[in-house]
Amino acid sequence: MAENPYDLLGVPPSAPAAEIRKAYRKLAKKHHPDLNPGDKAAEDKFKEISAAYTLLGDAEKRKRFDAGEIDASGADRPPQRYYRDYADVDDGHPYASSAGYSDFMEDESGFAELLRRAQRAQANRRGQDLRYRLPIEFVEAITGANKRISLPDGGTLDVTIPPGMVDGQVLRLKGKGAPGFGTGGPGDALIEVEILPDARFTREGDNITLELPISLSEAVLGGQIRVPTPTGDVTMSVPKGSNTGTTLRLRGKGAPRRDGGSGDELVKLKVVLPKPPDPELEAFVSTWAKGKDFNPREGNRS
Amino acid sequence: MSMSREQFLATSGAQVHRLEFYLEQRWLIPEATDTGTGFTDREVARARLIEDLENDFGVNDEGIDVILHLIDQLHGMRRAFAHLKADLSDRPLPSGSQALGAD
Repeated sequence: MAENPYDLLGVPPSAPAAEIRKAYRKLAKKHHPDLNPGDKAAEDKFKEISAAYTLLGDAEKRKRFDAGEIDASGADRPPQRYYRDYADVDDGHPYASSAGYSDFMEDESGFAELLRRAQRAQANRRGQDLRYRLPIEFVEAITGANKRISLPDGGTLDVTIPPGMVDGQVLRLKGKGAPGFGTGGPGDALIEVEILPDARFTREGDNITLELPISLSEAVLGGQIRVPTPTGDVTMSVPKGSNTGTTLRLRGKGAPRRDGGSGDELVKLKVVLPKPPDPELEAFVSTWAKGKDFNPREGNRS
Repeated sequence: MSMSREQFLATSGAQVHRLEFYLEQRWLIPEATDTGTGFTDREVARARLIEDLENDFGVNDEGIDVILHLIDQLHGMRRAFAHLKADLSDRPLPSGSQALGAD
């Protein structure tokens, strides 16, 4: 551990920071334990390289090391458990894939038979994971919901959708997959949630946006209007002189955030003239001198 | 054993928006529980691997996707190998030359 960190990274003591970083990346990529799951020595080697880089990658620490103030062992990485330690356990999990060798099991060779036998011989094999797709309404993704999936075998599966789902997210229901063998226990059900588009709301991160038509008198004079939110209608005041594009914020009416709290609902106003055109309005506007003087495109030329 | 999303964020040091992205990409598939989603140490270790790839090795999101897929295949293979090994040692064959013979 106390080996010279410059030697470990294979750089001269005069190397610039960029070169040290490059040397570290090159070595770390080769020795990262998760990229070498079967190599027990990789972890120690990676630890040494990381320690060397923790020291030399930090300008302040490097200066102190060069000045002899701290030694090479002063920068140990805290012990860490790598993904490979979990990926190798035999209870089955949703990540491991047989895509790399399943073709070897298909033919009639002795090796294929051995592979198949090995698979059958897992007396206590865990059941397979079953995948489903579940379309839900936009509002359900925000508020959460309870859904029931009908399974191809005639059974049903109850799924609790937690509030704040994102499109494509997968819910794992432990033990709801195919039955296992022996004491292997069943697999999991993996449910991919598809969020259906909504005619009114769109989502941007934690916030949701809604375009809300208002009448000309509401725009000019202001007033109280009812606004739909995923959790039901609320009353909102439209300020006097609102315009198309004016955006009002309903705090906390957006998607739930993971750290507690919620995003906001952004209400974009859209002024809509009466339909069919109102003769009284036309008559008023044609006599309204100030309205003709006002040019909204002024100062807007590019 | 299982931890909440908040505990996961605290333990792994992952940022909220990155976690959202990991879930969206299906890089992490936590277990659904009655109270929401349950993360385990396995997810923490996997998130750390993703962050090593991203921060230390300069791999972009497309690259991470490929690497995780290959690693998952590698572990699938390792498991198949382990079973093969167990199977072969359960039933020792008379001679090594016949073990993998075509018939």
